Amino acid sequence: MARRSWISQAACIAWKDLHIEGRSREVLYTMGFMAALVVLVFSFAFISGQETTVGPDAVAGILWVAVLFSGTVALSRTFDRERESEAIRSLLLSPVPRSAIYAGKLVATAAIMFLVELLLAPLLAALFSAGIMPHVLWLGLLLLLGTIGFCSVGVIFSAALLRARSRDALLGALLFPIVIPVLLAASRATAYLLDPTAPDLDPALFWTRFLAALDVVFVVVGLWSFEPVVMGE
Amino acid sequence: MTYVALAYGFIWVAVFVYVALVGRRVARINAEIEDLRQRVKPGA
Amino acid sequence: MLATMPSARRSSASFLAGIAATLVGFLLVPLLVANAPLEKTMGVVQKIFYFHVPCAWLLMLSTFVCAGGSLAYLFAGSERGDRLALCSAELGVLFGLCVMVTGPLWARAAWGVFWTWDVRLTSSLMLWLMLIAYRLARRYGGAGGRRLAAAMALFAAADVPLVYLSVNFWRGLHPNTKTVSSLAPGMRLPFFTSLLIFSALWGVLLALRMRVERAHSRLAELAIAVEDAEEESL
Repeated sequence: MARRSWISQAACIAWKDLHIEGRSREVLYTMGFMAALVVLVFSFAFISGQETTVGPDAVAGILWVAVLFSGTVALSRTFDRERESEAIRSLLLSPVPRSAIYAGKLVATAAIMFLVELLLAPLLAALFSAGIMPHVLWLGLLLLLGTIGFCSVGVIFSAALLRARSRDALLGALLFPIVIPVLLAASRATAYLLDPTAPDLDPALFWTRFLAALDVVFVVVGLWSFEPVVMGE
Repeated sequence: MTYVALAYGFIWVAVFVYVALVGRRVARINAEIEDLRQRVKPGA
Repeated sequence: MLATMPSARRSSASFLAGIAATLVGFLLVPLLVANAPLEKTMGVVQKIFYFHVPCAWLLMLSTFVCAGGSLAYLFAGSERGDRLALCSAELGVLFGLCVMVTGPLWARAAWGVFWTWDVRLTSSLMLWLMLIAYRLARRYGGAGGRRLAAAMALFAAADVPLVYLSVNFWRGLHPNTKTVSSLAPGMRLPFFTSLLIFSALWGVLLALRMRVERAHSRLAELAIAVEDAEEESL
């Protein structure tokens, strides 16, 4: 049997998850719906009677909070299928390196989240008349980076909480304090990009770089710690 | 000045409450040890 | 076998030592602080700084010790490392609470508002929240709780500089000056003494708590052994 490379193993796992998700589309729909609801809830909460929109800072914040909250849906489902059919044990028994499992799960979850965000951003643009077109590619990059940062931590926690009773309650509570820098960097950068009156985009560039650095740190820690955390199962 | 006293007082109170809680735990452990001792003695 | 549990008695002794150390330390600190020179702009209120900063220091120290212990536990299976992580996280929550109370008190007295999204205080708040989350993970995390918490500690430690940097750039400059290096000479002694005493307090509390925790785990083992022995003798 030919030895498969680490990357192809990770890709295999990612593809498996995406394939399953593609058929049921469960996470896509539930996460997407929740994200849209969060945005609506914020609209009702923040827009006062006379105004029709909020400033770019608020729009950016709403976008990322919606991503964070609905992202926990995707994360809690990441290992659900393995848990339900006890497939986690067979997955761990296989000679696949744990870091490849982590990477595969990370890619799959991030991809699903990203897909939802691609629909969410235009929704926000429409609701709040926010100008996403001038820097649409950059915004896409921010969404990707932020999602990766969020998922890199979330996949570990989701795996560790596999058998915990208060899984859903705990996941958000444990995850959010740690990913606040991600939220901060992503929403700051997005705010600058959405602001038509911003003099220059240096701050956005800075925050984007910061976000990328965050991602590197979190993914490295994640790759490193996935095995000992999951091996206890 | 009251703020300083409040701040310091709070730290004091917090640390003492913590030590008291730890002390309670110590007492509980001692009680359990005694309990175990009792159970072992008749059987030995 | 029970005779090999002198650690319980030692726990009581070190417990008393802990109280004694606390008393001595806390009696010394106010004396020093009272004799320290008054700061120009803020007057007496600035003296909160002598307790506030050491507590913030201890919060950070606790986080790093917790991460170190978690590292040992996750990658070397060290139970002692796990206990260390648990105890230092607890102390971190305790001293974090002190920071979160003294900070706003200082802010209120000095600037009139309780919270100003100051860089250091906000970063400390994040750190404190992470340690609280650590405790929650340990208590309610179920079977994988210890490992989850350990992973959390690692992320939290990696996060410390990142949180600080991000909040720093987010808030820009803040009236809070670079306090420690620009301390007036008369203030250095009380400050560093206070820092030393608080750190000693932390160390004593940690040692005490570790003792208790070790006694607790040994007790659990013994209880199981006794039950097994009782079942066999039936």
